[in-house]
Amino acid sequence: MSLPNKLDPLSRRAFCERWAQAALGVTVLNGVGGRSFAAETATINPATGPGFGKAKNVIFLQMVGGMTHIDTLDPKDGPTQGPKAPISTKAGFQLGGTMENLAKQADKISIIRSMSSKTGVHASGQYLIRCGYEQRGTIKHPNIGAWAQHFKGSSHKTLPSSVCVNRQPQNGNGFFPSSFAPLPILDPDSGLQYAQSDASPEQLIKRLVLLDQIDARFRERFQTAEVKSYTQFYDKTVSIMSSTDLEAFQLTDEPEALKEKYGRNKFGQGCLLARRLVEKGIRYIEVAKGGWDMHNNIDEGLEEHGAELDVALSALLDDLKERGLLESTLVVLCSEFGRGPKINGNAGRDHHPKVFSTLLAGGGIKGGFVYGASDKEGMAVADKQTSPQDFLSTIGWSLGLPIDEVVMSPSNRPFTVGDKGKAVMELFA
Amino acid sequence: MKTRLLLPLACALLVTGLQADNEVYRTWTDTQGRKLEATFRGIENGQIFLQIRNGYVYRIPLDKLSAEDQQAAKTLKPEGLGIPADPNLAQAAARIDMLVEAGLKKAELKPNPLASDEQFVRRVFLDLAGRIPTREETLEFINDPSVSKRAKVIDRLLNSPGYNSHLFNYFADMLRMADSANKVRYYTYQDWLKGQIADNVPWDKVVYSMMTADGKLLENGATGYLLRDAGMRLDNLSLTLSTFLGANVSCAQCHDHPFADWTQRQFYEMAAFFGATETFGAKRSGKSETAAMMRKAVASLDDRRLQQQAKNLLRVNGMAIEETGENDMKLPDDYKYPDAKPGDHVAPKLIVWSDDKTKKAYQGIQTKNDEELRTQFAKWMTSPDNPRFAMTIANRMWKHIFGIGVKEPVTDLDDPNASVNPELLRHLAAEMVRLKFDLKQFLRVLCNTQTYQREATSHELADNTPYLFPGPILRRMTAEQAWDSCATLVVGADVDKFKAHRGEQYAKALNIEFGKGATPDALKTQIENALASMRQFGGNKAAPKNNAKRKRKMQQAAAQGDEEDLAVNPPVRNGLVLARASELPQPERDQHFLRMFGQSDRQIADSESEEGSIPQVLMLMNGEAQRVIGQDDSLVVETAAAQKTPEHQVESLYLSFFSRKPQANELGDAVAALGNGLTMRDLTWVLFNTREFVFVE
Repeated sequence: MSLPNKLDPLSRRAFCERWAQAALGVTVLNGVGGRSFAAETATINPATGPGFGKAKNVIFLQMVGGMTHIDTLDPKDGPTQGPKAPISTKAGFQLGGTMENLAKQADKISIIRSMSSKTGVHASGQYLIRCGYEQRGTIKHPNIGAWAQHFKGSSHKTLPSSVCVNRQPQNGNGFFPSSFAPLPILDPDSGLQYAQSDASPEQLIKRLVLLDQIDARFRERFQTAEVKSYTQFYDKTVSIMSSTDLEAFQLTDEPEALKEKYGRNKFGQGCLLARRLVEKGIRYIEVAKGGWDMHNNIDEGLEEHGAELDVALSALLDDLKERGLLESTLVVLCSEFGRGPKINGNAGRDHHPKVFSTLLAGGGIKGGFVYGASDKEGMAVADKQTSPQDFLSTIGWSLGLPIDEVVMSPSNRPFTVGDKGKAVMELFA
Repeated sequence: MKTRLLLPLACALLVTGLQADNEVYRTWTDTQGRKLEATFRGIENGQIFLQIRNGYVYRIPLDKLSAEDQQAAKTLKPEGLGIPADPNLAQAAARIDMLVEAGLKKAELKPNPLASDEQFVRRVFLDLAGRIPTREETLEFINDPSVSKRAKVIDRLLNSPGYNSHLFNYFADMLRMADSANKVRYYTYQDWLKGQIADNVPWDKVVYSMMTADGKLLENGATGYLLRDAGMRLDNLSLTLSTFLGANVSCAQCHDHPFADWTQRQFYEMAAFFGATETFGAKRSGKSETAAMMRKAVASLDDRRLQQQAKNLLRVNGMAIEETGENDMKLPDDYKYPDAKPGDHVAPKLIVWSDDKTKKAYQGIQTKNDEELRTQFAKWMTSPDNPRFAMTIANRMWKHIFGIGVKEPVTDLDDPNASVNPELLRHLAAEMVRLKFDLKQFLRVLCNTQTYQREATSHELADNTPYLFPGPILRRMTAEQAWDSCATLVVGADVDKFKAHRGEQYAKALNIEFGKGATPDALKTQIENALASMRQFGGNKAAPKNNAKRKRKMQQAAAQGDEEDLAVNPPVRNGLVLARASELPQPERDQHFLRMFGQSDRQIADSESEEGSIPQVLMLMNGEAQRVIGQDDSLVVETAAAQKTPEHQVESLYLSFFSRKPQANELGDAVAALGNGLTMRDLTWVLFNTREFVFVE
């Protein structure tokens, strides 16, 4: 139980206000996120096309290492096929042989088979597909969750608006304040650790007051961004410790059978946690899954990681649908690049940014639809080339963000959601 | 705030320092009438220390000076930071200061005031030994009246075990040191690197060994560098070039670099030096006799599970570098430039840096047919004539100490003129060569500069403003510094004692000889023995198991008051193993203090993070570390509790956490809080959670 939950609501409020005013000079209950860029949903233009603003939440599934498109979303016949033969779906398109469960859900998904990017390096590719800009030494770009918080404000009173599961936040806030950074949950089974103080509420207040007094000299002397950012994190952390919605991070309440259905692995449980967080009103949830850098023995790799993806994603789509959340939740699946058609000397495939695939579902996206195409081998784009910027603009559009609006960074450089990419309108129902 | 506090110091600085036209130079005369224009640096043991304009410091017996000058020396106040350890060192440090100050002057900026002893001792411990000083170490330094104490503590720390740990942590991040990759343990690689650091092997030799290593990972830890990326030689080369040469070539792996001069072809020509080097599946490729024999030996094992384990064991033993004798590097299938066709064979060729045509990087060692390709590459790369090799490590070591490189990012030195101070950068590279790549000597020079011994910069730099080094930059402790400092609070300086040496045990347990004359039967016996010992390493995944039995024994021993041998067993409190980060799993598990505080996951080079996060702050406020630090058996609590008055207790805690005494108002606040229901435990919590604790001034 979190610290002030031991108190009745009135005392809890009193605690928070008293602590906040005494120690840090902010009003906790008004929410910390969004205060630097106080924009409300109402200031955004009303819907300007199909699908605009259909998604209230986004679950962003990032396959780390370069997901082989040929063995998953864009299967091929002939010599480039890979370890398993494609399987047919009732939606009319085929999926890679490992995607057995997803094949049954093909009517819920759209696939972009004409993604193309220029970088074959993991870190920069991951950065690009997440933030829409090339990685630079001079500025950090926000992910879509931070953009959404900028335009729409916080999605929750006390909890952060963005969460990232199975990964570090890695500057997700970009040039926005550090309070826009996603809250990392590195292990979904343990949830949000250390949410409870080992001191009594009274003791904790005294500690916090003294902390503020004692550290004041240092904070005044060193007014650097790093020091200020730490102080912000302390603010936000105390507000989270006081939140009544902390159980959002605990999977212990979920039925065992459902946990089983998502797959007993970090990605499966991460997807389950994402659904739980959507229910609690967290807007943007990233779930990462590694293991895709299959240079060697791709058959073994797919057996493990392909299957984990297939099981978890299918369970997630099913679960969201059953709860009536799929219409308001956009689920996307992406990777920094695909893998080449050629099986190399180590029975694996190598990096291939030239063409690869992404998947979208829910949030106003058509079901059973394929956009664009790769050529016969899966080597190059054959139709409707789509960039990571287009892909992210599509997500922004679905969330109802003004993707053309230019926002100036603190260093006074202009940026937009998805770097002037074009939302793929054909994807929307 | 700082101006107010340190006004006297700041004023003093205006008339001191080493600017060539400084008025504090005076002419000294000795008993024989010889003259020396120099600034007075102090007197110790009957010797006077005089620094001339080029930075060199003369040490002269006081009684050799004229009577008038002897008198003057007794009344003058020493300039600068005290007496340096030797005259050449002082000169080397002074040259760096002059270049830094020239850069500042150009921008019409002034250097920061000199740091106080308290600021200095905490910083130099963290920068050289990787942890905060204990209360005793702080007091010993502060109370030392010697004018050479700064130089002395630098030398002491450079030769302390903490130095080895701290430098290992830096390289572990840079080289993506991970216990486990490619389903194999890299313990021998870690042990090898630790050994190189402990022996202070020159950097060019260390890198040369990594580039040219041969044989099994189990038998030669230096192979770990190339084997870290087994089967991915292009990725490995891309990292090699950016990590050691600051050549920003990752783009050229797939296409011509859009901004720099690198072409994709050049990249492949470099890669061709590794074209005859097999790093994947060596020793177990289907063709060799050994492989056939191994298959036979495995097949003869009784059950499936054993066979699987044996395969893993052979995988570990098969992790090796072998020369194939033939360069098989080819251009990629999608090569699109007109100078060659996809799939063309690529001949090895070294690169030249275009801005430095007078000094070709491959001078005198161009492709010889009788030498192994990798040897040629390694010689070229680590040569003192290579204009980037020395510069890259010099810039990296500068960043290690000052918090920010002279050129950022450190992986891109394609254009040294884009550095904030190109003259300084070139000089540092030349110093690295002059010191023969001795990193310890290089760091010794850096720490003896005035630039290093100034206050940290306290203001926010405007965006895109170059940092010209008015002093070190304020930075948050690295994850390893923070962890090692926590452990220091709990167990004191003894934290440096424990060394893991996992490579030795691992190799001994798992190594299998496939020498000539081995029979399938002999192999089978070896496999069975190795499998038995492999179990202690937890099969294929976990780190060596923290043997529960051993732990219990240790706890019993502690309970019985037995002397714990800290070199063999690190102390454990509340499940936390209080050893230096360098001796813990690489990287630590996700939820460990180290990872939550930003330790790299060792997937991406140089990716240690110094950012805060909510889970991190939750951990600082409510996690195990704050509990262990505040418990009664923690050294910091024991020491403070032994003090007689609350005032002395607070002072003791301040010295332990911040390496300084509390100011009057701080003392008042803390003592009042102690009287108002807060305990010593609460006070440790408060100090631990301050910004002052996690930032390095």
